[in-house]
Amino acid sequence: MRAWLSLATVVGGIMMVTAACATSEEWAEWRSHNTHFASGTHAGFSMRNNRDGSNPRVTRTDVEAARQESWWGKAITVSPEQIFQN
Amino acid sequence: MHRFHSRTPAAGLVLAAALLAAVAGPAFATPEDALMPLEKYTTPKAKGLASAHRSRLLKFSEEIYNCLPWLSVAPGGLGFPKAKDSVTDDRYLSTWIYIDQREDPAFAALPQERRVSAMFSRYGVDMLRRMAALSDVIDDGDVTGLSVVLSWLKPGTSRPGKQPVNETFALFVDKATLMDFLAKRVPPAEFTSRAKFILFDGQDPVGRVPLEVWEDSFNSTFKVTNYEPPKGVQCQ
Repeated sequence: MRAWLSLATVVGGIMMVTAACATSEEWAEWRSHNTHFASGTHAGFSMRNNRDGSNPRVTRTDVEAARQESWWGKAITVSPEQIFQN
Repeated sequence: MHRFHSRTPAAGLVLAAALLAAVAGPAFATPEDALMPLEKYTTPKAKGLASAHRSRLLKFSEEIYNCLPWLSVAPGGLGFPKAKDSVTDDRYLSTWIYIDQREDPAFAALPQERRVSAMFSRYGVDMLRRMAALSDVIDDGDVTGLSVVLSWLKPGTSRPGKQPVNETFALFVDKATLMDFLAKRVPPAEFTSRAKFILFDGQDPVGRVPLEVWEDSFNSTFKVTNYEPPKGVQCQ
């Protein structure tokens, strides 16, 4: 029982932290605008800091958060040593 | 419905750590982290360049960070390296950019060399143009040329259950050729014939692929809706 309570507390805390930034609808809207970088369309980001839509503002932190939201793990990438010498 | 079978708090903590790792995502460099550390350079010439132009590169890094939030400079990806196969100490002003390219059917349908051309035309040329504008750096006689490295997620690899793989394109070009290309005195085909470049699929070298360069103003005109740079930052 204690194990379940501990687990629920930890998972619940994580969910609260991650949900505090945006609603699921906002994230869904964000993810729907995923074609803008090399496909030719200049679709925009859409996120509001204020729930009532006033003073809309997106920061670098918001962009980083959205980037991480869609991240599925560390990508295999060439190492700098395969390209450069220091 | 997924069921947890954890019977101990330790198991819960392991799960929590895994969830946190998934939430934390990749680490991207702050403007200062983007600069290649001085102690990593191996020759006096490189150390001299890095010391002399540190403040200018930091300002450039801050411009990317604050004004082009859809791009990230790789940690240590901004500096004066030389090409891997170089037998001389020819130094290049270089920027390694991660591009936030997500799954997109149109992009995925392109052959690999076409994806490279699209990415270089869209981001590579604009980054080279921005770097070429750092006249105090470019005019340094110890700078042989410019280099841009672009990494993006290979289509089809960034889904749950898949191992993400980055495609990476690295290009080196001498200063005169770049300046002539940017001034339209050298056509794109001549530019690509003079430049040295290589593509990597993950960590596997693909080699020199056919590269076509066309006009693309996206990186210089795109605005993130409602995005505001920090106060006091002027974006051009």
